[in-house]
Amino acid sequence: MGGILSHLAGIEEPEVLVLGITGKQGSSSSRLMREFGTRVVAGCTPGKGGRDVDGVPVFDSPEQAVRAFPGINSAVLFVPSRAVLEATRGLIELGIRFVVLTADGVPTHDAIRVRVLSMRSGTRVMGPNTVGMLDTEGYLFGMIGGRGRWARENYTPGCVGVISRSGGLSQLLGAFHCRRNLPGPGPDGRLQPLWGDDSPGVSAVLCTGGDPVPGTTMLEAARAFQADPRTRVIAAYGETGTSQENDLAEAMLRGEIDKPVVIFLGGRFTRPGVAQSHAGAMIRSESETYEAKRAALEKAGARVVDRPDAVFSATASILGLSRGPAEA
Amino acid sequence: MPALSEHRTRALLRDAGLDVVEAIMVPADEDMPSSPPFLPAWLKAQVPGLTSRKAKGLVRRAGNAIEYREACRRMLSDPHWASSEGMLIAREVGLRQELYAACTLDLGSESSQPGGLLLFGEAGGSGVEARAGGLHRIAFSLLDPPGPEALAASAPQGLLDEALSGFLAGMVGVFLRHRLLVLEVNPLGIAETGLPLAVDCRAEYERSAIPDESAAMFEGSAPGSASRTPLEEIVAAINQQDPSGTGFFRQTRDEVPPGAWKIATNICGGGGKMLWEMATGGRPDIANLNESDTSGGLSAFKSYRILRVIMALPEAQLLVLTGSGMAFQSQYSIAVAVWKALRETPTPLPCLLRFGGTDEGRAMGLFERVSDSLPARVRVYRPEVFPNAMLDDIPAIALEDGSPEARRREVRMPSYPLAFEVEQPPGRFTRDPSICASCATRACLDSCPTSFLAWSGSGPAPAGGDARCVGCLLCEAACLLDGAGGMRIELGLPGEV
Repeated sequence: MGGILSHLAGIEEPEVLVLGITGKQGSSSSRLMREFGTRVVAGCTPGKGGRDVDGVPVFDSPEQAVRAFPGINSAVLFVPSRAVLEATRGLIELGIRFVVLTADGVPTHDAIRVRVLSMRSGTRVMGPNTVGMLDTEGYLFGMIGGRGRWARENYTPGCVGVISRSGGLSQLLGAFHCRRNLPGPGPDGRLQPLWGDDSPGVSAVLCTGGDPVPGTTMLEAARAFQADPRTRVIAAYGETGTSQENDLAEAMLRGEIDKPVVIFLGGRFTRPGVAQSHAGAMIRSESETYEAKRAALEKAGARVVDRPDAVFSATASILGLSRGPAEA
Repeated sequence: MPALSEHRTRALLRDAGLDVVEAIMVPADEDMPSSPPFLPAWLKAQVPGLTSRKAKGLVRRAGNAIEYREACRRMLSDPHWASSEGMLIAREVGLRQELYAACTLDLGSESSQPGGLLLFGEAGGSGVEARAGGLHRIAFSLLDPPGPEALAASAPQGLLDEALSGFLAGMVGVFLRHRLLVLEVNPLGIAETGLPLAVDCRAEYERSAIPDESAAMFEGSAPGSASRTPLEEIVAAINQQDPSGTGFFRQTRDEVPPGAWKIATNICGGGGKMLWEMATGGRPDIANLNESDTSGGLSAFKSYRILRVIMALPEAQLLVLTGSGMAFQSQYSIAVAVWKALRETPTPLPCLLRFGGTDEGRAMGLFERVSDSLPARVRVYRPEVFPNAMLDDIPAIALEDGSPEARRREVRMPSYPLAFEVEQPPGRFTRDPSICASCATRACLDSCPTSFLAWSGSGPAPAGGDARCVGCLLCEAACLLDGAGGMRIELGLPGEV
């Protein structure tokens, strides 16, 4: 199987534990994950051990689940934001290699602690505040696609690696690269197909999340795509706040990332100190502004666009699929 | 970020055993003492989040009783006083030195690990921001916080004596315990005794981070309910009744530029907000009357209620609803909520609706099916059409439907007997048994995603067992579209719109 997780976390065959599996979000997402092909082997909710959710056994604690299924190497958390830190700490202590944190509203203090614990242990954490990740090799962590069948039909194997700080836009950048005859604005502004039946498809979609301290940064996600032989171009959504785009630009400048990067950069009108969209988009210093990030990315050779539909015409042109419409 | 006023921040410091200047707090709803408790004293209005209070005249010195009364008179008549939590009257103390200290977070980068940051300056008081370059920066770990000795060792040699490093370690403790974003003591005074004490202080925090045990210390802090508009009050009450998902609504306080289109918005998710901002930012011809976000798995009952509030925005010319264009939340459920709001509001707005994600085709199909019966024009967009293109349609659709006053109408909804009520999310299921009896399809049952409904003699009723109503509105929509039309879910609003 392999795919992007082998580059992100050294995992070839993900076996997944779902924390909070008996809740509304946990149960519907584990159904989605399984329908997409993910091996969800166990779930966990304190006090609900012994039950099952659609045939997946539920345990009272991650320790019990790992004892019963020693192959578990990854986990998705559908737990309240305040429980995220301790739950993640426990999973790291159990040797879990990949952890996805979907919760919104995780205190920044806790997110920092999670990030430091992850750096110390080597466990790869994605999120908080992420819809998760999807690999067209056949596994999905989180909520991307909403329903299994829809996700399978709308995310097809290909060569675009998607990185996004927004849940909705990670889904959009991924699914639209897989859509046949995707319409995009032509030179006259009218919609016309950007490509035919030969849609580029995606290798994987990684949502790094909308919070100020992500467990996996855009650069770390880009490194995984750099190492992934399926990926020919990286399509990204970035925005103001944090140093993620700046760090990515520096890595491109020094040649560490040399695959083409197309990025829709949001936040041109975001005022400093205001949390306009995601908590992580708040501008705290000059280098976190739209202008500074755009300049850094363009200097590094990234194609920076102002509209999401321009991402698709740019990737089409890079991949030689373009039918003519100019980039916006 | 929400801010904590000085008197609340003092309480956090005192609670941790740190010295603060002697003071009394007079709450805003109590009369000021007729004579000063200390002289000389500093009178400080407690307005959360307001900086440069001294320059704004909200911090005043009283050297005698006359100055005290004059300070009271002027500060109580200041417009900022309306949002003040009260007056802190602090004793003036002689200080050997004024310093500056603050704790904040370093979010980290490729080259630095995230953690805490202690800023320390050898000169405090007003204007410290201008001297930011001269501050000492001491990084610390949130996982292994430093004690006094470790702090002293991290600072330049001789900078922190035992008392000072003890005070700063105490600040770090307060910062960590309450998971604050900022804790600032300025000035941090050194008394004649040589001991440090907080003369003035403030904090910023995240609502989600407040531990239960200290919630009382933060309760009622900014933003105060006094600053809410009547429509915002209604949404606050809706959120209390139904806590599912995100139910954010805020009216814009900015003045609408002359000639701009006045747009009521329902922009979902962070990505959706950013798309809308990128499309409309810097355009003087577009005025957003509000911000709102209905995403994150909220019930359609709640979507409907918030849409009713949005449609009631005074002077709104049309409604724009969009998200990122690829939501995992059912777009059909949102479409059904918009349809119900349009049917039931006395102030229907022309709508530009962009659906993208799960069930997007079904959502668009709904409005094709019901377009002839709508009280205002609705234009529906596929997710491939981005907000930039939607904006081009605003003049046509807003002008076609005339002024908001012309659209106002009296709504008479059918009144059926109550069949049953759902507590969470709250809704009253009413139906006409004779209409239901004539129903050949029982479409309401098939539409229910949780099998909550079963046929019971004269119509739909709770099936019993574990099945719950999730407030998706699909049964009512199915009844109107494919059934006999005898069901109506009454979703009361906690206020007049």
